[in-house]
Amino acid sequence: MTPIAGSVALNLAFGFSILTVLTLFLYNKNGDERLFLTGQRLALGISFFVFLATFILAYQLVQSNFDIDYVARYTSLETPVVYKISALWAGQSGSLLFWLFILSIYTTIVILQNQQKHNSLMPWVIITLAIVQMFFLVLTNYVTNPFKPTDADFIVSNGNGLNPLLQNVTMAIHPPTLYLGYVGFSVPFGFAISAMINRDTSPLWIQSIRRWSLVAWLFLSIGIILGGWWAYRELGWGGYWAWDPVENASFMPWLTATAFVHSIIIQEKKDMLRVWNMVLIIITFTLCIFGTFLTRSGVMSSVHSFTGSSLGPIFLTFVFSIMIVSFGMMYFRRNDLRSTKKMESFTSRESGFLFNNMIFVVMCFAVFWGTLFPVFSEAIRGTKITVGPPFFNQINIPIGLILLALTGIGPLLAWRKTGKKILIRNFTFPIITGLIVAILLLIIGLRGAVVISFSLGAFVTATITTEFTRGIQARRKKFNESIITALIKMVSKNRSRYGGYVVHLGIVFMFVGFTGHAFDQEKEFSLKVGESNHVAGYNFKLIQMSETERPNHYAWISDLRVTNDEGKFVTNLHPEKRIYFHRNPDPNRRQPHSELDIYTTMNRDIYSIFSGVDSENSVAFIKIMVNPLVQWVWLGGYILVFGTIVALWPRKDQ
Amino acid sequence: MDIIKEYGFIIIFFIMPVIFVIQPLFLPMIEEKKNQLSVDGLKRKKLLIYRQIKELEMDHDIGNINESDYKLSREALKQDVSEIITKLNSL
Repeated sequence: MTPIAGSVALNLAFGFSILTVLTLFLYNKNGDERLFLTGQRLALGISFFVFLATFILAYQLVQSNFDIDYVARYTSLETPVVYKISALWAGQSGSLLFWLFILSIYTTIVILQNQQKHNSLMPWVIITLAIVQMFFLVLTNYVTNPFKPTDADFIVSNGNGLNPLLQNVTMAIHPPTLYLGYVGFSVPFGFAISAMINRDTSPLWIQSIRRWSLVAWLFLSIGIILGGWWAYRELGWGGYWAWDPVENASFMPWLTATAFVHSIIIQEKKDMLRVWNMVLIIITFTLCIFGTFLTRSGVMSSVHSFTGSSLGPIFLTFVFSIMIVSFGMMYFRRNDLRSTKKMESFTSRESGFLFNNMIFVVMCFAVFWGTLFPVFSEAIRGTKITVGPPFFNQINIPIGLILLALTGIGPLLAWRKTGKKILIRNFTFPIITGLIVAILLLIIGLRGAVVISFSLGAFVTATITTEFTRGIQARRKKFNESIITALIKMVSKNRSRYGGYVVHLGIVFMFVGFTGHAFDQEKEFSLKVGESNHVAGYNFKLIQMSETERPNHYAWISDLRVTNDEGKFVTNLHPEKRIYFHRNPDPNRRQPHSELDIYTTMNRDIYSIFSGVDSENSVAFIKIMVNPLVQWVWLGGYILVFGTIVALWPRKDQ
Repeated sequence: MDIIKEYGFIIIFFIMPVIFVIQPLFLPMIEEKKNQLSVDGLKRKKLLIYRQIKELEMDHDIGNINESDYKLSREALKQDVSEIITKLNSL
C-alpha cells in the first residue's frame, strides 16, 4: 500500500460525500427509493475510503515510512509499536483523520442499524452526517493532509519520535475514548435536524437517540476521567484537573450532554421540553466541534497564531454555520416544537429535571467564559488576561454542590406534582442522614465547603439507598420474592432508572474524592543515599539510587523506603528521572521526564516525584505529596461506567 | 506483475465500491413501504406506552405517586394504547 493510495482514498471519500448529499437531496424531491439506496451506499462508500486511508496511515506509522511528514514528526525507529499506532492521533492532521474515522464508524452503524427503521428520518440523518464528514474531508484533503510527503531536499534517517508524555498506555486509550464521545453526538444531532425538517415530534426518535446520547456520554465521561488519570499519573503536579482549555473543551459538551440525557426523559415520557432538547443537542454538538477547534486551531496560545493558521478560521466558520442553520431551522419550526403540555407544579420531577438542566447550562457558560476570556481580552484590549483555577473553583464549587444536592432531590420527586405527605416521607431519612454527617464533621473541627460536600454526599447516598430499599420492598410485597431476586428483577425491568441511580452514586464518590483535595500536603527536598525527610506523618529514606539504559530512554531510579511515625514500614517507592532520545547527538533533542511512583490506598495517595538529579554528588531532588481520597475519584468513575452500562443494557423487547 | 498488482488494487478499492454504489440505480422501481413503516412505528409506540404503564405502576407501588395522579395517568396511557391498537387493526 503506497501513501499515495491514502491521499486518493481521502479524495474519493470527499467526492462520495458530495454525491451522497446530492443523491439524497434528489430522493427527498422525487421519492425514488433507488436513489435512497444509492445515497445509503454512497455514505457507506465514504466510510470505506476513510477506513482505508486510516489503515494506510497506521501501516505507514508502524513501518516508520519517514517519507511521510506526519510519520517523521511523530514516530522514530525506537518508538514501541503500540505508540506508533497511537501516534495516529498525536498530531493535528492525524487526529483530524481519526475524528473522521470514528465518525465513519458511527455513520456505518447508524445506516446498518436503521435499514428498516426511521425511513422518513434517515435521508436527512445521512445528509447531516455526510456534511460533517465533508467538512473533515476538506480539512484532511486540502488544509492539513496526513499523507503530505517529507520535504524532498533532505533524507530523514530517523523521525522526531513521540512526546514522552504521550508514551503511556492511558494516553493511548484516552484520545480515542474522548473522540468516541465527541463524535458520538453527531448522531443525535443528525436525528434532531432530520426530525425538525420532517416535522416529526413523536417520542420514537427521541427514544432512539437516547441510547446514542448515552453511549456518547459514556465515552465522553470515560475520556475525561482517563484524561484526569493520565494527568495525575504522568504530569507530576499531583492533581488530575487544572481547568486548562483542553480539559474544559471536553468538559463543556459533557455538561450540556448531561443536561440533555436527563431532559430527553421528560420529552419521552411527558412530551415536554421539545424546544429545550433541540437547543441542548445543538449546543452539545457545536461544543464538540468547538472543542476540537479549541485544541487544534492554536487560538488558546494566541489570537495571532489563530488568524495566521488556515485551520482556525475554517473551523470557526463551520461552528457558526452549524449554529445559524440549526437555530434558523428551529425558528422556522417553532410551531411544531411547541409542546401542549405545561409544568403543573414546582415540586414535580419535571421541574427538578428542568432546574438541574439550568444549573448544568449555567456551569457550562461559566467554564466557557473562563476558558475564552484570555482570547476575548487579547482580541479586544490587546493584552492576554488569563483566569486560572481560582476563578473556576470559586464559580464552579458552589454550582457543583447545588448539582450534587439536586442529584439527591430529583429522584425523590413524583411526576406531575409531589404531595406534602410524600415529600415528608421521602425526604425525612436522607435529610436526617445529611444532618448527622454535617454535625459529626463540625464536631471534629471541619468547616465550610468540605462539610457541605460530605453531608450532601451522605444525603444523596441516603436517597439512593431509600429508592432501592423501597423498590425491593414493593416487589417483595407484590411478588413474594427474596431480597436478591427482587433486586435483580427490579433493576433488570427498570434499567435506565436504577442504572441512573448507580451513576449518581458514582458522582457522590467522585465528589468525596474532589473534597479530599482540601487536605493535600506537599514538600520538596533533596536526599543523599541514607538520608531521610518527613512529610505529613511519613518518613522517606533514600535507600539507593541506580541507573539504567532502556531502548528509548536513560533512567535514574531512586529507592525510597517509606515508614510511618511509629516506624512501621509502609511501602517502597521508585520514582525515576528519565532522559528520552538520550542517544540523539543533539542535546537539545533529548527530553527529560519524571516518572512518578504512587502508593495508593482508599484513604490517601503518597505521590513521589523524582524532580532532579545531581549524579556527581549522588543527590536526588524529591517532591512528595500526600493526597487524601483521590482513589474515590477513580472508584466513582468505575461506578459511573457500571451504572451507565446497566442503563444501556438492551432489554429483551429491543 | 506490478501492473497486475496495481490494477488489482484499483479494482478492489475503486471499481468495486463504484459498482456497489450504482447497482441500485439499475433495479426496477421499488414499491414504497409506507404501510409497513407505519405499522412498525405504531408497534414501537405501543411498546413505549406499555413500558410507561409499567414504570407508572412501579412508581405507585413504591409510593412515589399519589392515588389520584396514578389513576389519571394510567387512564391517559391506556387511552393512548387503545387508540394505537385501533389504528393497527385498521391497517
